[in-house]
Amino acid sequence: MQLDAKIPGGPLAEKWDRHRFELKLVSPANKKKFNIIVVGTGLAGGAASASLAELGYNVKTFCIQDSPRRAHSIAAQGGINAAKNYQNDGDSVWRLFYDTIKGGDFRAREANVYRLAQLSVNIIDQCVAQGVPFARDYGGLLANRSFGGAQVSRTFYAKGQTGQQLLLGAYGALSRQIKAGKVTMFPRREMMDLVVINGRARGIVTRHLITGEIETHAADAVVLCSGGYGNLFYLSTNAMSSNVSAAFRAYKRGAFFANPCFVQIHPTCIPVHGHYQSKLTLMSESLRNDGRVWVPKKPGDRRPPAEIPEEERDYYLENKYPSFGNLVPRDVASRNAKEQCDMGKGVGETGLAVYLDFSDAIARDGRKAIEKKYGNLFQMYEKITGENPYETPMKIYPAVHYTMGGLWVDYNLMSNLEGLFVLGEANFSDHGANRLGASALMQGLADGYFIIPYTIGGYLAGTVLEQVSTDHPEFVDAVSGVKERIDRLLKTNGHRTADEFHRQLGKILWDYCGMARNDEGLAKARQMVTELHQEFLEDVVIPGSAGDFNQSLEKAARIEDFFEFAPVMIDDALSRRESCGCHFNEAFQTEENEAKRDDEHGCHVAVWEYAGQNEPPVLHREPLVFENVELTQRSYK
Amino acid sequence: MQLVLRIIRTSIGKKLLMAFTGLCFCCFLVIHLAGNLSVYGGADTFNSYVNHLHSLGVLVHIAELALLVLAIVHIVTGTVLFIENLRARPVRYSVTRRSGGRTWGSATMPYTGFLILVFLVCHISWFIYAGREYQTVYQILTGLFSNPVVILLYCAAVLVVALHISHGFWSLFQTFGLNHNAYMPAIRALGIIFAVIVAMGFGTIPLYLGL
Amino acid sequence: MKSINLTLKVWRQERGSDKGRFETYDATGISTDMSFLEMLDVVNERLTLEGKEPIAFDHDCREGICGMCGAMVNGYAHGHESGTTLCQLHMRHFSDGDTIVIEPWRSRAFKVVKDLVVDRSAFDKIIQEGGYISVNTGGAPDGNTIPVPQDVAEKAMDAASCIGCGACVAACPNGSAMLFVGAKISQFALLPQGRPEAKDRVLAMLNMHDELGFGNCSNERECEARCPKNISIVNIARMNREFIKAALLSE
Repeated sequence: MQLDAKIPGGPLAEKWDRHRFELKLVSPANKKKFNIIVVGTGLAGGAASASLAELGYNVKTFCIQDSPRRAHSIAAQGGINAAKNYQNDGDSVWRLFYDTIKGGDFRAREANVYRLAQLSVNIIDQCVAQGVPFARDYGGLLANRSFGGAQVSRTFYAKGQTGQQLLLGAYGALSRQIKAGKVTMFPRREMMDLVVINGRARGIVTRHLITGEIETHAADAVVLCSGGYGNLFYLSTNAMSSNVSAAFRAYKRGAFFANPCFVQIHPTCIPVHGHYQSKLTLMSESLRNDGRVWVPKKPGDRRPPAEIPEEERDYYLENKYPSFGNLVPRDVASRNAKEQCDMGKGVGETGLAVYLDFSDAIARDGRKAIEKKYGNLFQMYEKITGENPYETPMKIYPAVHYTMGGLWVDYNLMSNLEGLFVLGEANFSDHGANRLGASALMQGLADGYFIIPYTIGGYLAGTVLEQVSTDHPEFVDAVSGVKERIDRLLKTNGHRTADEFHRQLGKILWDYCGMARNDEGLAKARQMVTELHQEFLEDVVIPGSAGDFNQSLEKAARIEDFFEFAPVMIDDALSRRESCGCHFNEAFQTEENEAKRDDEHGCHVAVWEYAGQNEPPVLHREPLVFENVELTQRSYK
Repeated sequence: MQLVLRIIRTSIGKKLLMAFTGLCFCCFLVIHLAGNLSVYGGADTFNSYVNHLHSLGVLVHIAELALLVLAIVHIVTGTVLFIENLRARPVRYSVTRRSGGRTWGSATMPYTGFLILVFLVCHISWFIYAGREYQTVYQILTGLFSNPVVILLYCAAVLVVALHISHGFWSLFQTFGLNHNAYMPAIRALGIIFAVIVAMGFGTIPLYLGL
Repeated sequence: MKSINLTLKVWRQERGSDKGRFETYDATGISTDMSFLEMLDVVNERLTLEGKEPIAFDHDCREGICGMCGAMVNGYAHGHESGTTLCQLHMRHFSDGDTIVIEPWRSRAFKVVKDLVVDRSAFDKIIQEGGYISVNTGGAPDGNTIPVPQDVAEKAMDAASCIGCGACVAACPNGSAMLFVGAKISQFALLPQGRPEAKDRVLAMLNMHDELGFGNCSNERECEARCPKNISIVNIARMNREFIKAALLSE
């Protein structure tokens, strides 16, 4: 199996320009003859729908929520990177490219990442023109901040709600096209299957979440922007409806899944408080600039923090990494917190938390200064936990946050299935084994606004597409498959709720396929998941009917996909014989307990092909070639 | 024509009509109160004020007509808004609570408005049917306010007007778009003060005359 | 960790066309660390195991930003805590033995879909009338070519922080959506990029607001008091100014 990433030739900086010139164009008069389906209305989906409609294509856009404005891109807090160099501090497209590829621990394609850095500049311009209220300096020019340990200030932000504002910008553009009649919007729809005809994606089957109706939609191309699969772990910072189903259905129809084991775990989240917790809330990582992380030295020390004297506290990050201290990268901070808790030194009721203490910072800078910097975060923390972080240390713990893995795409963002394009977090393309802060928004918008409008034209202009209607046998088959599946789920009539299964599945993955992995644990998880999946099939209970607004049914169907997807992730983790970025296999670590890459054998994208129900997936490898950067080892001592 | 339609047909247009006519009534109340306070100067002062007013002749009729038109606009628009607002929530809540925005004044606007209308009808008909040929207006007043029931009703009516103003005054500024963080607290305070002045100013007259 | 017992009176309605009713449920052993929605999760899990249909309610991000959740809790939109969405309301604000009445948003423009779920597509329709700046992708000038004074940008940001949850409509005694419309109008009225379309925007969006059956603003200020993002009615005043300029003063 030869995977062709279709990376254009020529020097890195000229690849995208050259490619845009080489791509065939659809003439303006012909664009209205093409129908395009977009699934998802986050930054990628919203931006793609609007941009494609502006060009003249007929777009049908689907989202799972009641309005396209609610996609989970909305929750991104920190900001969006762009190589504008407005601060005159030495930033450049090259530097953003280099930081991103290094941050990804050299497991992303050079050409893709470079293009992302190039386009970052256009995104800011576009969003400003749309009226996104970015923060401004006193002179009225755009403000920047340094984010996630970057050495330059290149992050643009709109208070702590950058994702929301960017999404509302895209939503506005989308709304304009809906009004113009170029986009037909289908809210409260869940994509249940992808329809592939003659090897090309030609439509989707959806379920109307209110009426339960199974609907079919044919098109000339399908653009999947359905986000990441972090909810596989049950507890994550993702929204409740974030799922893998759309991507997984595409995978089952032949699209390849790349690097599924690359899952980012964010170190500063509010810890789990109890069995019934439904999601985790992220606290900005900027807190680590002033907070000191510690645990009691003695395992099982249950005293309140104020009663633990200084000499009995273990400031483990500061001790272990003297030069970076509390500011070590996300993955390192996360892994160390887990390690401390595994040793029994965790704090709080569950023992799964570490302290993030601001008392020294308050003593040094005064409460006012801390309030000015982190006031809103402290308030949010207090709202959720009922504890005042000015008086008692915060408790934090890592949580699943973002998935770098996703459907495999080439340079055109097209999957191996022709006519299926995958954008945003749903694809695997730009972040390698670890995503840098403020880069997700950048990628979603670059894909949607500035890449897909060109590359989809290249595909449509260069392909002869036969007429397809929803009467086609493939559609009929897909519909009956969906209906059978729903009937089967509803008929199970067991004794345990889908949520209960999800919780257990999440726990297995968190324990064995989370921050630190080992072969034994992964093998055990593989076994446990298979068993639990079987129990799910036999014992899940779903009230209500198929022809109804049935949230239990929606959930169960998504969880079933998680069950089928989890083994692919575990297999991927097992097959990668190295540690890199967020994938940390304990067998592969440096003497400093850092992820130890094996560039000789690991410098590839792991690409998984569906081989049939109950068959192990087939692994392909797309080699990664680095011509412009030198592969280095991270160190934070 | 388009302009008129825009005002009549749109929600904010109707609110602007309410605000504009409300503003006119506020001004009217100021003038009315200033005149009425001449009661405190005794019968002669008051009667001479009344005579002066009547000597304006046709101007008085124009003013009366203008007030009538304003009143009709205010009442009709207010009624339309009231009905539309009721229809905007066909199923009511079983539990409703205030969160600090709503006041007694704002919550009762349509009802106080209706009571004021009833009061106005009585108020005007008293004077039309009082028989001014053989007694001065001052005498009519003292006659009327010798009845404690009338005093009570009048004072109640004045309080209703004050309640209406307590919301209406600042509200018209908001409707005109004159809401500025720096001035709004002052405008709100002014609205309350104005309501109190109206209540005290009008409300003490029957007490002064009757007791 | 404390645990409390509650009695819930929840609005149940099979579908939009049905007549609804209140049902009473016991919510026992509720941890005070739970969010309101997690409390409902617990109740739903129990209902499911008892073979009953769980209570349908909208929710998604559960961190107060997507605007999907919302219900009237004891007569308060999003519950009695201020500046909070329902998902961020925690059970420590309730006491053992409390009875909690939970109803959906009520408005002619928001039809009940099921139980606590309402159809808020009216908001999307209002935005489609002009809640955007008409720029196509590509061709935007450099971001710094239009300076925006810092305080103006901040005001625009405050207005733009609306999450479209519908609490303003739900809390308004008149069922008016003027805070929602005013916030969007304000955002673009403040920014220089929004000025070219300001006139058409305010007229079109307000027209749609009226058409959809929302009530009229009578400055009750309940919307502002209940808005989870604390959006001020100053934005309604600004919209009124824009309306006066567009409808009455422009040529």
